[in-house]
Amino acid sequence: MSAVIEVSGLSKRFKNVTAVDDVDFSVEENTICGLLGRNGAGKTTLMQLLTGQDFATRGSIRVFGETPVENRNVLQRVCFIKESQKYPEEFTAKHVFRSAPWFFPNWDAEFAGRLIDDFRVPLTRRIKKLSRGQLSSIGVILGLASRAPLTFFDEPYLGLDAVARQIFYDRLLADYAAHPRTVILSTHLIDEVSNLLEHVFVIDEGRLIIDQDADSLRGSAVTVVGTRAAVDAFVARREVLHTDHLGGLASVTVDRLSQSERVEATEAGLELSPVSLQQLVVQKTNIPHQEFEQSA
Amino acid sequence: MTTHTLTDAAPTTAAAPGGSRITAVMKLHLVNRFSVFAIPWMILGFVLLINVIIWWIIVSATRDPDAVADAQDGLQYSGATFYIFVYMMVLGIQGVALTFPFALGLSVTRRDFWLGSALGFGVLSALYSAGMTALAVIEQVTNGWGLGGRMFTALYFGAADEAWWLRFLIFFVIFLFFFFVGSAIATIYLRWRVNGMLVFFAGLALVLVGLLALVIFTDSWPAVGAWFAQNGTVGVVFWSLVPTAFAALTGFVLLRRATPKN
Amino acid sequence: MDESRPIFVQIAEQIENDIIAGILPEEGQVPSTNEFAAFHRINPATAGKGVNLLVDDGVLYKKRGIGMFVAAGARDRLVAKRRDQFQSEYVRPLVTEAGKLGISETQLVEMIRQEGAE
Repeated sequence: MSAVIEVSGLSKRFKNVTAVDDVDFSVEENTICGLLGRNGAGKTTLMQLLTGQDFATRGSIRVFGETPVENRNVLQRVCFIKESQKYPEEFTAKHVFRSAPWFFPNWDAEFAGRLIDDFRVPLTRRIKKLSRGQLSSIGVILGLASRAPLTFFDEPYLGLDAVARQIFYDRLLADYAAHPRTVILSTHLIDEVSNLLEHVFVIDEGRLIIDQDADSLRGSAVTVVGTRAAVDAFVARREVLHTDHLGGLASVTVDRLSQSERVEATEAGLELSPVSLQQLVVQKTNIPHQEFEQSA
Repeated sequence: MTTHTLTDAAPTTAAAPGGSRITAVMKLHLVNRFSVFAIPWMILGFVLLINVIIWWIIVSATRDPDAVADAQDGLQYSGATFYIFVYMMVLGIQGVALTFPFALGLSVTRRDFWLGSALGFGVLSALYSAGMTALAVIEQVTNGWGLGGRMFTALYFGAADEAWWLRFLIFFVIFLFFFFVGSAIATIYLRWRVNGMLVFFAGLALVLVGLLALVIFTDSWPAVGAWFAQNGTVGVVFWSLVPTAFAALTGFVLLRRATPKN
Repeated sequence: MDESRPIFVQIAEQIENDIIAGILPEEGQVPSTNEFAAFHRINPATAGKGVNLLVDDGVLYKKRGIGMFVAAGARDRLVAKRRDQFQSEYVRPLVTEAGKLGISETQLVEMIRQEGAE
C-alpha cells in the first residue's frame, strides 16, 4: 500500500476564518475514505486545496508524490466535482458529457450512458433550469464515469431521492470493485455511507479530529445508561465523550470497553448500547443531534 | 523518503501530452455550437437584412441622384456590424468567468486553461474574420448589395477596395482585441468579484477622463488627429495589438491566482 | 448490519451461518469478495477482511484463479466452535443469573424443557 495523498501542517486562512487548521494525514491508494463533518467544517476547502483549486496558507500537500497546484501531471489523474460546481451558463448536460472525455483519460462513455439512464438526466435542458437533484446527478456521473485514479465526491447527493442515492452507492461499489481507485466521499449523511467506507476522516472547525480505520472506529464508543450514581461511578476514570441527564437517569458515551469492563457494567446494573458512526461524529463535533439530522 | 519513491513510481505513460489538454479547453469553448456559431450569424444575417431594406428605402424614395450619392457616402460610417464585436467580447467575458470554474472541475491547470482559451478565441476570431471577409468581398463585387450599401466594407475595415487578405487581417485583429479585453475583464471579476469590477471601471473612467484632459490642456487635438491620419485605418487597427497583448498578459497573471469561489 | 461490531466480523459470521445451515456446502464455491460487498452494500476491502478471517481459520480455502471454496470438514468444526461459544456466552450467564435469583438446578432444567415444548 502506498499513499496517494500526503498532507502535513496544512492550513488555509481566509480573512477572518481559519478554514483548515494545521492538518496532517495521508490517504492510502485504492481505498474509499469518508471525509465527514458539519457544513462549513472545512471539507470543501480541504478538497479544493488537495486539487490545486485553492492555495494553502501553510503546509505541504503531495498528491501522487507531487504538488497538485498547477500540476497537469497530477490533476489529469484527479476528478473533483464540487457540490456547488458551476457550469457555463448556456450549457446543457449534453455539452458537459460531450466535453468530459477530453479531460479524463479513463472516461467510459458506455458507462456514462448507462448512468445517464439510471439517473434520468435530461440531456437537452439548460443546466440552469435543472433541479438540485439533477445537478447532483451530473456531478455523480462525471465522478463515476471519469474513473480517475483519485476521485472526490463532495456531498454528491444533495437533492437526490432515496432511490437515486441507492443507485449511486451500488454503482460506486460495483465500479470500484471492477476498477479499484481512491475515492474520497465527503458527506454529512454518515449513516448511509458508513458501510462503504474503509477509512474515516472527521473534520471540525478546520481541525482533523478523527483519522481512523472504519472497522476500528465501529463500536469504538459505547453509551452507558443507568441511574446517575451508578453511571457516574462507572465512568469516573474514563474519558467521557458525551453526557445526557434525565431526572435521576444518566446516559454517558465513553470509549470502547473491554469484555471484562462490559461484564462489570452489566453487574452494576447498567445498560450498554452501541454508538453508530453518525452518533459518534455528532457527539465529537459537539452539536445537538437534532440539528445534525436536519442538516442532513 | 517515500515522496521520492512515489514520484519515481508515478506512471509516466499516464501523462498525456499537455497539448491535448490545451486543445481540450479550446474545444470546450466551442462545444456549445448554438451559442458560439448559430446565434451570432443569425443576428448578423438579420442586421444585414434590415440594412438592405433601409438602403432600398433610401435609394427608391430619393429622387435626386446627388442626394442618393450623399446618403451612400454616409454609409461608409456604418456601425451595423458593431454588435458582433460586442457579442464576441461577451463571449470572451463569459468564456472565462463561467468556464473557468467548470474547467477547474475538469482538472485543468490555470495555465492550460488560459492557453486553451486564447487558442479558442483565436480560432473563433479566424472563423468570424473569414466569414466577414467573404461578406465584404460580396459587398464589393455587388457594389453594396446592388444598393451602394456598406456594412462589411465600412470605413473602419480598410479602404472600400481593400485586398481581401488585408481585410481578413483587420477583422482578425479587431476580434482579438475584443476577445482579450473581455477575457481580461473577466479575470478581474474572478479575482475580486463585484468590488474588483467597480474599482476597475472607476479606474478606467478616471484614466480616460485624465487622457482627455491631457489632450485638451496641452492643445494636442491636432497631434492626435495627425497620428490617426498618418497611421490610417490599417495602422490604427494594428496598433490595437498592443492593448490586446497587454490584456492577454494581464489576464494570465491575474488568473494564475484565481480560485473558483462558491 | 449491527452497529456495535466490526462489519468484517459480521460478514465472517454470516458465511459461517450459511455453512452450518448447509446453504454453502463443503467443497462448494463461495461468492467472491466483490459479490459479498455488492450484496451487503459494504466496502469490498471490508468484505475481503471477513473472508480472509475464515481463510486463516481454515474454513475457506483459495483456488488460484478460480475463487474461494468451503474446506472439507469445515461444517463440523464450526458447529463444535459454536457449541463452545454457546456454552460460554449463553449457558454460563444463564446459570449465574439463575443462581442469583435462587432458581434451583431442577427448576432451571424444567424451565428450559417448557420453552422447548412451546
